[in-house]
Amino acid sequence: MAIASQMSAAGPLAGLSVVELGDGTAGPYAAKLLGDFGAEVVKVEGPDGVSTRRRGPFPDGRPDPEASGLFLYLNINKRGIVLDIDGQDGQQALDRLLADADVFITNLPAARLQTAGAAPTALRARHPRLIVTTISPFGTDGPWAERRGSELVTYAMGGIAYSTPGMPDAANDLEREPPLHPACFAAETITGLVAGLATLTAVLGRARTNEGCHLEISQQAAVASMQHRDISTYSYWGGTYNRLLNPTTIGRMPNFYLPCKDGYVTIPAPMDLHWERLVEAMGEPAWARTPAFSDGPARTDNWIELRMRLIDWTMTLSGDELYGLANQTQLPIFQFYPVRKLVESEQVRARSSVVDIEIGNRRAQMPGAPFMMHATPWGLRRPAPRLGEHTAAVLGERTGVPA
Amino acid sequence: MSVAPLPLPLDGVRVLDLGQFIAMPFCALWLAWLGAEVIVVESRRRMTSRTAPPFVPGMEGNPDASGYFNQICSTKKSCTLDMTTAAGRDIVRRLAGKVDVMIDNYSTGVLEKLGLGYNMVGKLNPALIMVSCGAFGRSGPIKNARGLHSAVNLFSGVADVTGYVDGEPRILGGVLPDPLSGTYGMFAIMAALHHRGRTGQGQFVDLAMYEAMMTLIPEAVIDLTLNDADPQRAGNRDRQKAPHGIYPCRETDTWVAISVEDSRDWNAFCQAAGHGEWLGDARFGDAGSRLAHVGALDAAVEGWTRQVSVGEAVDKLQAAGVAAGPVLRCDELLDDAQLQANGSVVTIDHPTAGPHRQLGLPWRMDSLGVEYRRAPLLGEHTHEILTGLLGIDEADYARLEADGVLS
Repeated sequence: MAIASQMSAAGPLAGLSVVELGDGTAGPYAAKLLGDFGAEVVKVEGPDGVSTRRRGPFPDGRPDPEASGLFLYLNINKRGIVLDIDGQDGQQALDRLLADADVFITNLPAARLQTAGAAPTALRARHPRLIVTTISPFGTDGPWAERRGSELVTYAMGGIAYSTPGMPDAANDLEREPPLHPACFAAETITGLVAGLATLTAVLGRARTNEGCHLEISQQAAVASMQHRDISTYSYWGGTYNRLLNPTTIGRMPNFYLPCKDGYVTIPAPMDLHWERLVEAMGEPAWARTPAFSDGPARTDNWIELRMRLIDWTMTLSGDELYGLANQTQLPIFQFYPVRKLVESEQVRARSSVVDIEIGNRRAQMPGAPFMMHATPWGLRRPAPRLGEHTAAVLGERTGVPA
Repeated sequence: MSVAPLPLPLDGVRVLDLGQFIAMPFCALWLAWLGAEVIVVESRRRMTSRTAPPFVPGMEGNPDASGYFNQICSTKKSCTLDMTTAAGRDIVRRLAGKVDVMIDNYSTGVLEKLGLGYNMVGKLNPALIMVSCGAFGRSGPIKNARGLHSAVNLFSGVADVTGYVDGEPRILGGVLPDPLSGTYGMFAIMAALHHRGRTGQGQFVDLAMYEAMMTLIPEAVIDLTLNDADPQRAGNRDRQKAPHGIYPCRETDTWVAISVEDSRDWNAFCQAAGHGEWLGDARFGDAGSRLAHVGALDAAVEGWTRQVSVGEAVDKLQAAGVAAGPVLRCDELLDDAQLQANGSVVTIDHPTAGPHRQLGLPWRMDSLGVEYRRAPLLGEHTHEILTGLLGIDEADYARLEADGVLS
């Protein structure tokens, strides 16, 4: 594999060969992570291309399968081929690819894999060293195994939606404020990360056993696993989470999420030490020294009035001013950053948290490395493939026939 | 009939866990379950998670009865050391020379001040992989700023895409920035171990919690920088699909999540809800018109969901092939038959705290094993680690103990 050797210095996973048959975000994101850190990834699409080619964001909102922002983001550092896995030729070509690969990642439905001759058990039997990573909405056993999932449904069944808005924010009205899902592919991204991680586990395991592995990832379980902390309370004494703004869920007050002059801030000052700093930062207002706020329990009992008093104060200041006070007083006050302010921030620039991407001949930016590896940096080696861009080259490579 | 246990993928990997609270302890938790020997360094003089709730009722304050500690330190070893003493710091340095991986999420600069930063331990052990995690990372102009999960939510842009229609930004539930960063940390460790296996080279990994969260919002970052378009908060709606939302059901504070992908789904949805007449409603004819009339559409859907129980709504929609599911509270996860059926719910016994359930790895493996064992008692492995791994003799050990270094 000429390409892999050219990339040998490119990342910690250089030399690892991955075939991805994915759709949406979860499968492609798992393969993207491996590719971003040096693996050689071949993405397999059907003749119509994957659904993210139709998702955007597009330049000026004009749909173009070669200019979909989400597709181009999810598929950098991959080569792309088109195979019709509903037909025999496509199925055979896929199997030839897998014969040479280290890893196969897919989030297509099990039934689809079965008809394509790519069911995990069959693949494990035919290619004993192959690592097979499959992603399904709910796992392959249990009452939901055959049920239909989606980003929203798996997220809701993973527990995070119910607890959003979450600490120190909270719902003001249970009926009018439903559990919230953020407008992004949160469940699928978490699952893709978990699938990439599971895959690497098996890569390390294979170095000992010389045997492949089938890794089965449930999207619901991946989301639920992120609820580690909140689950402990139920497990240890049966405590359940309440979405309403009150000390039972928020803890000792003040610990608030509040509006300020030009945005929003969090003000956590749960201990006496924090409270003293906060009172000082506010300029020692008389109300703060009244018995109603004299100690932790009093502040917690009178949290409704306390919240109003604090809003009166925060509304006189900008987020930057409050953040400046936080630095002076060592209070962990923090302000809300809209995406625009984030992307333009010095921190994001200094760390290259966003990097350039070309979308339909226009320059845009996308999230860059999720962490910085000092010896084996993350890198952009190639843009996402046009539909079928590398079909001839990749299939020629594998069969020995020059393209 | 006994079956040989499956090999553990990280058998032989040793990890020094200097993690605090959730993010890095969570990172080391899964490593331990996958077979790594994880050594938690802690001190009676500065206990954090062992003093945090939830406790076994009646055992409040008992450092061996905290669910917070016992669940995030399952399968790990406990070594008590007072890092405010020179001898304690020296032992940590020696441990760093004996491990493959070291992780921390102290405030930026704390380890360097103690002489335990990568600038020091990386020289002593060039094969060491160190993951150091901060809210804003270990570089950049605000690397020293302290941030809780809520600050990370607010800075990362995730709050900007979370909120009700035209409403204020809201903060995500749970403490997602913590476990998410921990999971990226594990990915970095696995990748670095793979690289080290071929080259012998260790390295430093700078992990920023906000960057982990930014991986959730590529569309928002791209739309802003491509089209100068700021995120519009729109509740649980999707910009291409409708209905797409979390709707109230008959019983108070119960909710069903529904996402309709295409016209086949819409057709099935209307039939399942017993509202075939919606199919003839011009406002709802295709995805474009449903999105144009999404307010009316959501009101109609809610009109139906409020009449039925969550279970009934889900069963009817799923029977028709529509993606729908209950909104589960985190306390319902442990009792969820689906998570249980896929091996995600594990029970771990503990001599002080007794048996408790938690969520294990969210994946299954057919040729590799995983091991769920109890959390260590406070200082349970100090003697074993110092006299075994570090080869400190009993007389020196007794002296260290008498000097309070091991407290």
